[in-house]
Amino acid sequence: LSAVRAYPARVRDLFQAPPAAGPLPAGRGEHRVGEAGDAAAGAWIRFEARVADGRIATARFRAWGCPYVIAAAALVAGRLEGLTPAAAGEFDVQALAVELDLPPERLGRLLVVADAARGLAASPAATAG
Amino acid sequence: VSGAGPVYLDYAASAPVDPRVTEAMAGALAQLPANPSSVHASGRRAREAVECARAQVAGLLGAPPASIVFTSGATESDNLAVLGAARAGRARGRHLVTSRTEHRAVLDACRRLEREGFEVSWLRPGGDGRILAEQVAEVLRPDTILVSVMHANNETGVLNDVAAIGALCRARGVLLHVDAAQSAGRVDLDVEALGADLVALTGHKLGGPKGIGALYVRRLPRPPLEPLLYGGGQEGGLRPGTLPTHQAVGFGLACELARAALPTEAPRVRALREDLWQRLAGLGHVERNGAAEPSVPGILNVFFAGIEGESLLLELEASVEASSGSACSSASAEPSYVLRALGRSDAAAQASLRLSLGRFTTVGDVARAGAAIAAGVERLRALAPPGALERIA
Repeated sequence: LSAVRAYPARVRDLFQAPPAAGPLPAGRGEHRVGEAGDAAAGAWIRFEARVADGRIATARFRAWGCPYVIAAAALVAGRLEGLTPAAAGEFDVQALAVELDLPPERLGRLLVVADAARGLAASPAATAG
Repeated sequence: VSGAGPVYLDYAASAPVDPRVTEAMAGALAQLPANPSSVHASGRRAREAVECARAQVAGLLGAPPASIVFTSGATESDNLAVLGAARAGRARGRHLVTSRTEHRAVLDACRRLEREGFEVSWLRPGGDGRILAEQVAEVLRPDTILVSVMHANNETGVLNDVAAIGALCRARGVLLHVDAAQSAGRVDLDVEALGADLVALTGHKLGGPKGIGALYVRRLPRPPLEPLLYGGGQEGGLRPGTLPTHQAVGFGLACELARAALPTEAPRVRALREDLWQRLAGLGHVERNGAAEPSVPGILNVFFAGIEGESLLLELEASVEASSGSACSSASAEPSYVLRALGRSDAAAQASLRLSLGRFTTVGDVARAGAAIAAGVERLRALAPPGALERIA
């Protein structure tokens, strides 16, 4: 049986008070969804974004996974705003891994986060507002 | 352990040392410096303390003092029992029986024996976590020399009907080893009633110090055992090495205190556990791992749908100290082999918490822990994508 591992302070902070968590608030613009992963992958992430004038105006995430997954999803969601949907999945996974001091065996879970972000670009747009 | 800090609910990993034990150990360290094997007066005083401790340990098991062999803990006791009995009995047969939900101290010893040419039948428990005597009966063979079945499972707390298995083994002339690390001091334990030939226990699960345990070895008839260590005649040649007087004193006193408290502590701790369960069951989408009864009083293993176990542990870090359903031996958390053997998926095993209560757990602790776990589970479920309750199950 396992006990709590030693997480970096950055991961703890993002895990305990993740920015941009929860459902997307109502607003004007296209509603896009990017989702990837499952229990077997150890990570399951859903990004939702409101796109106005071709750029992401609001982004939110929901995630299931270890604290690194939640921290990574929170970090990415917070950085989506202002990007085009196409640019959403283009963040540097290795840089994110360094930023979170990610153990090498968890790198695959960041790839799931990247897949979910890329899904925003491919997602069919639904207009609301 | 109690108070403003996190609520300690990890008694199954290690119970806090009783302050009376600490005091007795400090006294032994200060006043009994000699080697208990020395024949001078100081050595004889140390020997008296060790023999008093042996009697106290034996008293917890309903066993004669001479049947107790001091070891470094349950892992060594399990190894001495399994490896020692198999190697000593190899001329009679090379078949062993154990279960997939034993502690690693037994599993890895059995795997070692497989590499030495022994054959092992690995029993799988039902969804309730129990190994039945009928399952043992089905796999016994003329060349079976040892059955090793734990009394209480360390993850679920479920008690096996060891007495029925013991009667079966006795009738077939097969040795029975019982890992009682989780049950000693927590339920009535009588080695004669269990029909066990070898019983392993440890000090730190019952309010004693870490680093000392014991193996009960039946006296009549005495099972043949090959020692793991060589170098002296201590402990009847089964466990050579200088006896740690202060450790023995602490272990012995802890056994005596646990025995005395058992009639009141067992129902009290059981009631606290059920109170905790009721608080958690109210969350919905939670299930107990293993049968509620028969079980040791203090262990509650709960699966929370929609949750990832590692995140739950971090969520609870400041409020509750417990263990999750993952193996600690791997850099990437492997799902518990015990919960997997009970039929849980990898995700469900990892979404499980073992909450273990004990002598110093209070009603207030349970209320605080229950509230903290409920809040943590609700926050993580709210963070999870829609459908997690159904998919992480």
